[in-house]
Amino acid sequence: MRPVIPPISPRSSQYGVDPALVGKRVCELPGMTSVALSDLFPDLPQVIFPGAGGVAGVRRATLEAVEKVDMTKIRPEHSVNILASHHGFTLLGGEPYTEMLKTLRDVIEQRTGCRDIRLRAGVGLRFRETEEYIRRYGLDRYFQGKAIGVAPIDEGFPIATELGTLYGIRKVYDADWIVHAHNSDVREVHFHRQVDRAVKPFGMSYARIETRSTYHQNLGPRAANFTARAIFDSPFVQKKFAFASFLTVAPNGIVGVDADNDLYALNDRVTRLGCTLYGKMMTLFGEIDECIVALDFPCPVVYVFAAGVIYANFAGANTDLYDLELPLPAYTWYTEAFYGKRGKPLLEDIPPLNPAIRMCVHNYAWTGYPSAFFSEHIPTVMVGQEQADLFRRDPQNLNYMKHAVVAESMESAMEFAKKTTGTEKVLIFDGAMGGINLSEPLAEFLLQKAPTVARRVDEELLPKWLRQRGIPLSGAAG
Amino acid sequence: MKIVNMLAVVDVAKCTGCKTCERVCPVLAIKVVNKVAVVDEKDCRSCYACEQRCPEYAIAMVKRAHPFVVGVDIDSVEYERVARLCAKARFNPEQLVCYCSATRAEEVAAAILKGADTPERISLVTGVRTGCKVECIEPILRLLEAAGIQPVPPKGGWQWYGRTVTAWEIPEATKKKYASRGFYFDEDIELLDRVTIAPLQGRRES
Ligand code: SF4
Ligand code: SF4
Repeated sequence: MRPVIPPISPRSSQYGVDPALVGKRVCELPGMTSVALSDLFPDLPQVIFPGAGGVAGVRRATLEAVEKVDMTKIRPEHSVNILASHHGFTLLGGEPYTEMLKTLRDVIEQRTGCRDIRLRAGVGLRFRETEEYIRRYGLDRYFQGKAIGVAPIDEGFPIATELGTLYGIRKVYDADWIVHAHNSDVREVHFHRQVDRAVKPFGMSYARIETRSTYHQNLGPRAANFTARAIFDSPFVQKKFAFASFLTVAPNGIVGVDADNDLYALNDRVTRLGCTLYGKMMTLFGEIDECIVALDFPCPVVYVFAAGVIYANFAGANTDLYDLELPLPAYTWYTEAFYGKRGKPLLEDIPPLNPAIRMCVHNYAWTGYPSAFFSEHIPTVMVGQEQADLFRRDPQNLNYMKHAVVAESMESAMEFAKKTTGTEKVLIFDGAMGGINLSEPLAEFLLQKAPTVARRVDEELLPKWLRQRGIPLSGAAG
Repeated sequence: MKIVNMLAVVDVAKCTGCKTCERVCPVLAIKVVNKVAVVDEKDCRSCYACEQRCPEYAIAMVKRAHPFVVGVDIDSVEYERVARLCAKARFNPEQLVCYCSATRAEEVAAAILKGADTPERISLVTGVRTGCKVECIEPILRLLEAAGIQPVPPKGGWQWYGRTVTAWEIPEATKKKYASRGFYFDEDIELLDRVTIAPLQGRRES
């Protein structure tokens, strides 16, 4: 069997425990191995990162992609806000996204003569997260002191849209032009359902609480992302929008960079990529019949990665997240909201959280995202008292430890999980690049199932997914 | 319902009196007095908003010596009225409206019926909107509106700006225009309607 892939290292952050407290990583346990994603799905594309050339390939790809972009409207005396989001910094260590942002700054200055180029980096629910990344990756220096993190409780302003008034963050839009710098990684499929994924930040990391609450509480699980489209289409945003530049991402790494003055053209390419490249991985994960999940990544519980799939999506892998005929995935905030006081769904047709997950060992994952739903419905063992205490103090996770037990070490937690569940299948969410760290029996299981899954997705599911989104079946994947 | 176990503490040496904390506090528990921020300890709901946005990093969250629980007792209000208010705002009474504090629509409705007439007062008595501070503002505004209350945002604050669109208010023309792009507007309305009238679990329906 293959050796394990080095996991992403713990990061020093106010949202996680001190990296020094993270002892052994789960993949270091005996019996752990890895599978290469290209062994599971040989048709996955070639990647430019990770690779021997490091992030130089990302710079090259960004320069090539923006060559075709029209920047003539940006004048030397204008100001430009490059808009970034926290998610990008969690992809493959964060360096590729950082390199794209730096390259964008350089190329805009070079081509337009504009010198007032700022970075505005939006967040999810950890309001200082991008501040931490800006410092970590030296973006404050690179943007000559003009790089800031923005949060949804910062000063806002009304934006007139076809849905009525929605609200944006003032500092996101305080320049003559905005450049939307994002990535095609699917991440929260349970929320956006791969509909307008490329537009989402306009309703989320660039938006105020009212807009985000509209998305998650007012519209419904399959209409929610329309808030983003409504804001992006508003005359106010259209007047400022210069172009978009996206890292294109596959489960096995960065495939390239795509840039366009037309966000919807880019959006269609992103939709196709998301369904094609990640659909197989998610469907394969849905085949897993039983396993222990290990969280071991510097991100909140829901966002830890394995093969480009986040834990929140594995928790819903018993349903087809891409099938829009399915109203509610097993996990999304609407689903969580629709559990009544006895801890059961209010409607009978609400699917349970993935029953294949027999236990969750929380070796290392951050606070800063409401995650009690997971520990309430999936037996959870938290590693380390310090980490448990951090969750008890987090206003978003006051109930997480109500449902979880604490183990002194990762080894004892895993031993407990194996003994109580009786399964030897372990899936590790540790951000391993290009593959998955897992136990040997699960590796064999996935390798055996993958060819059938690939056929089913190609022949049956993908045509349906694309049809539901109005995307023609044939066409360049971008 | 929420356990309040932390408290915001201002380092007066670092505070410049910029008022950012005052503008973001969801319960108006921190105010700048004589150019320095002052926390009302009994009202602070341990939400971290001020600590997370202070540009001078002048605020620390410290463990409270005596944590306490805030919440509104549903049984202190006639449940029939609670249910009616929730239905009018198109919520199932047991539906969660705040994922962090696990507050349900019925508790917010009860708070309103007991006199909480602004999002700030509702947050103070229930703990709603003092977790992530992001996702639950619209349900609060919808429930207030259903009770016939039109609150005004705190003057000069950034706490909240206004109620926004709901699924039932999306223009028909918009629905038609985007129906082939993967937005399931009417189907989602049907789902939300079913949730609204779903049987309760915590108590027998009267
Ligand atoms: S945000 Fe910070 S610096 Fe500004 S008034 Fe509050 S405590 Fe003082
Ligand atoms: S309630 Fe929140 S914003 Fe207000 S003082 Fe306390 S921690 Fe700060």
